[in-house]
Amino acid sequence: MSRLGPMYTLAAGAVIAVALGAASLKAAPVIQQVAAQEDTSQTASSPAEASASATPEASETPTTPTPTTTGTATPADTTPKKADYAGVAQGNGGLVAIAVRNGKAVAYFCDGHIEAWLKGTAENNTITLEGRDSLITAALGGGRAQGRLQVGHAKWRFVAPVVKKPSGLYRATAIVRGAKIVGGWIVLPNGQEVGRVAIGGNGEPAPQFTPGSPVDYYGIPLRPQDPDYFIDEVTP
Amino acid sequence: MNDTHVTPKQSVAPLLVPLVVGGLVAVALGVYGRAHAPTGFAVGVAGFSGPLAMKAWLTTGAALLAIVQVLSAMAMWGKIKVSAAWVALLHRWSGRIAFLLTIPVAFHCLYSLGAQYDVPRVMIHSLLGCFFYGVFTAKMLALPRRGLPGWTLPVLGGLAFTALIGLWLTSSFWFFTTIGVRF
Repeated sequence: MSRLGPMYTLAAGAVIAVALGAASLKAAPVIQQVAAQEDTSQTASSPAEASASATPEASETPTTPTPTTTGTATPADTTPKKADYAGVAQGNGGLVAIAVRNGKAVAYFCDGHIEAWLKGTAENNTITLEGRDSLITAALGGGRAQGRLQVGHAKWRFVAPVVKKPSGLYRATAIVRGAKIVGGWIVLPNGQEVGRVAIGGNGEPAPQFTPGSPVDYYGIPLRPQDPDYFIDEVTP
Repeated sequence: MNDTHVTPKQSVAPLLVPLVVGGLVAVALGVYGRAHAPTGFAVGVAGFSGPLAMKAWLTTGAALLAIVQVLSAMAMWGKIKVSAAWVALLHRWSGRIAFLLTIPVAFHCLYSLGAQYDVPRVMIHSLLGCFFYGVFTAKMLALPRRGLPGWTLPVLGGLAFTALIGLWLTSSFWFFTTIGVRF
């Protein structure tokens, strides 16, 4: 008995580890379903949001240029100056969101388990973004971004329609006693939401986020902001 | 049971298998943590506000029990004048529970995050974690063997204790001082 005791101890540890592994393999992605949002109902939840959604340039520029404005000299770049896209990565179920601002682009992919921040450029209605171990290329037009997403060894296609606040991409950063916290959220018009919070090499599914409200992360208030605020800040 | 129970045929030879197996365990965990793509998610113990808090508190429980381990071991070896039958029982079961408390933590770390070397704290934590399970395995395998040098169990146990405290400092202590004492 006493000779086998230590073996039982090791075996018990191994059994628990295997059981946790089996349970984890079955776990589904953590896409949350929150109440579906109307584009018009929540725009007044904060002054920043209200002013942003009131800006006329918030809509995507039509893909076919109007002949009166472009002139005849050189074909103008019809890439939207400001547009937000969000959709589902086909075959993964994770969400992808892209924000374009004056030739710059940021994107976030998240399925609750893995996440990737990407940055790049938008020109000639094409966006190319790179992140750590991740890549997005997509064509803009017809009110959507359509392209490919690669995270690690996995590749997915996606079609991300133009979205308006409160849907779209959000990011919150905070530095707490030397540790940098980065949270990312994607909200779809149908109420689907996903997000993660990363800190010091750790990451975990983000607490649920209601656009306009702060998010409580272990007692630390995170204030998710829209891409206008972090377009230059994302460093994958 | 104390160190006067010495057989003339003391040898480090019986220690070979426990040390080799322990080394293999440590290397296997490190290779796994490095080679597989972190899943970013793992099932853990419910009841905490998140996996970080879960790991911080389970590790704290294990670290407290590890202190019980050192004290009860000292009593068993006559360094503390307590000679009661329950000391050995206390040592055995506090060790067992401490080890089992660490399993969900290590599982979450390795399965969800993997071994990382970007930041000193995280690197030290990754290496210590692999080392801890190697030493612990070696100690468990050495326990029932006869004819081992007298220093075997104190050294292996001391290393396991040191590694666990190091793990606590690089995880729970960091969590409590950075984020706060949160459940």
